[in-house]
This record gives sequence, structure tokens and C-alpha cells, in this order.
Amino acid sequence: MSEQKRRPEDGQQEFADAAWSVPSYLLSGMAIWGGLGWLLAKWTGQAWITPIGLVIGVVLAIYLVYVKYGRHSA
Amino acid sequence: MNAQTVLASTGGGEFQAPGPEIFEFPPLFAGGPEWLTKPVLFAVVGALVVCVFCWSAFAKPKLVPRGVQNIGEIGYVFVRDQIARPFLGKNTEQWMPLLMSVFLLVWVWNIFAVIPVIQFPITSHIAFPAVLAIFIYFIKVYLGMKHQGPVKYFTNLIPQGLPKPVYFLLVPIEYLSTFILAPFTHAVRLFANMFAGHMILAFFSLVGFWFLIEKPTALGFGVGIIGVIVTIVMTAFELLIQFLQAFLFTMLAAMYIQSGLHADH
Repeated sequence: MSEQKRRPEDGQQEFADAAWSVPSYLLSGMAIWGGLGWLLAKWTGQAWITPIGLVIGVVLAIYLVYVKYGRHSA
Repeated sequence: MNAQTVLASTGGGEFQAPGPEIFEFPPLFAGGPEWLTKPVLFAVVGALVVCVFCWSAFAKPKLVPRGVQNIGEIGYVFVRDQIARPFLGKNTEQWMPLLMSVFLLVWVWNIFAVIPVIQFPITSHIAFPAVLAIFIYFIKVYLGMKHQGPVKYFTNLIPQGLPKPVYFLLVPIEYLSTFILAPFTHAVRLFANMFAGHMILAFFSLVGFWFLIEKPTALGFGVGIIGVIVTIVMTAFELLIQFLQAFLFTMLAAMYIQSGLHADH
């Protein structure tokens, strides 16, 4: 939706969308990139890769929430 | 579940906090099917309560509402204005039968936690919220494919205007979140709240029962009193949580339906 057509309730609704979507985005980020990190850690024997993957997943999930819901209000 | 049932599992010797076993029920009668347990029975009773309530409130509506119709209309207006309309806008009325039924059903199932004799929140068994969440999930995906197109629905979810390598990082998160974890968190949020609430009530009521009636001692008396007071306070708190969780579950259902009807902006 273009900026001109936006109504005040759109912002409110997007805020609710974002707020309630955050848990599943965070879990997804951790599951995918943390899971990949865990696989790499198993494969290489370097245990530290798992937490790095988890943190990268969380950061990417927060970035995705920002890209989807935060850019309008920025 | 009542104090005697929990006590039976403690072995009677010393105080033992109730555990997950308070969520396990035997068949209703000896020789009966294993699936026919107390939660199943009261799940059906809850559905019947909602049917009877809606029937008596809305079957023969009067222009000037009286009796049950008054209460039914308050409930309807609440669900429509506070839950459905902020998300669904002009499509609200079309989805009200579903959202109203889901709200009332979940609320009645939750309230069963504090109704004497029943004393069990039906939604603390994951199967019940899971079925409702999966049902909403299929509606969401169906509406998305119908209104946005079978391929467009999936591409609309991806935010535009990002450098190509970033999509490689973000798209898996988006799809896992929308198609697998969103229905999971939808069900688990309700289940976990009701599960934890029931454990808390069971624990504190058992503390009161144990230290005041089962094994009263001078030292334990104060603990028993605290147990009773906290049980009363937590029961009031649970009443609020039961309503809040029914509200949130229905609100998320409205949000998911909206995400199927219209693409993200």
C-alpha cells in the first residue's frame, strides 16, 4: 500500500501484526540458522558455531520484522 | 481434579507438589473407551453450552433485546468491535459467526478450570487448542491462495526492495514462521497459559488442604493459611487470564484470516 493511501488504523493494525508475529519469527530465526550452526558444529567438531548460528538467527529475525513492519513508520 | 485426587497420587506420607499427572485421566467408566475421559466429556459439554447460549440469545431476536439476548449482544459487540473489526474492517460481519464461536468456546473451556466439580481447563490439553489453530491455519492458507493467487500468496509474504543475497538469509525464516511456527505458537500460547494456571491453582490449593486438614501442625498452620489465601487470589487472577487468552486466541485468528484476505503492505 502506498504512503498516500495509508489510514491511521493501518499503522495500529501493523503494530499488532508485528507484536504478535515476533515470537514465531524469533523461533524461526533460531531454528533455521541455529540449526544450521548445530549441523556445522557437528560436522566440524567446533561447538562454538551453534551459539553463533543462534545469535545470527535472532538478529536476522529482528531485521525481518523491521523490514516487514518497521519501515513504514521510520 | 480435586484435593483428594491429588492426595491419592502423593502416597499420603509427606507433602508432594502436584505434577503433570493431574492432567492424566482414566476412562470415564470401567471398560469404557480410553479416549472418553473427563476433558473430552466437558469439551462436548462446553460446545453444547455455547450452542444453547447462542440459540437462546439469537434464535428469535427482538428489536429491543431482553434477557439472554442482552448478554449475547454485549458479547457480539465486544467480539466485533474489539477483536474482529480492527483487523478485518469491512469483512468483519462475514467472519463474525466463526470468531464469535471460537471466542465463546475457548472462554467456556477455560472457565471450566474454576467451576466446582469440573475444575479443569479443557484447553490445557494441547489437542484442543491445536485442532482450533490448525483449523484457522487451513482457512488462512485457503483464503490466501484464493484471494491473492496460489503463487502470489507465497511471494507476497516476502518484503520487496532488498539486496538479493539478503533474501537468501530471510526467506527461510519467513516461510518457517508463517507456515509452521505461527500455528504452533497460536495453539501453544493458549495451552501453556491454561496448563500453568491449573498447576498453580492445584499447587496452592493442595498446600492449604495438606497443612490445614490432612496433616495439621502448629508450624504448618501459617503455611496452610497462605496456601488458601494465594489460592483465592490466583483464582481471581486466573479468571482474568481465561478471558484474556480467549480474547488473544480469537484476535490472532482474526489476524491470520486478514493475512489471507490481503497481502502484507
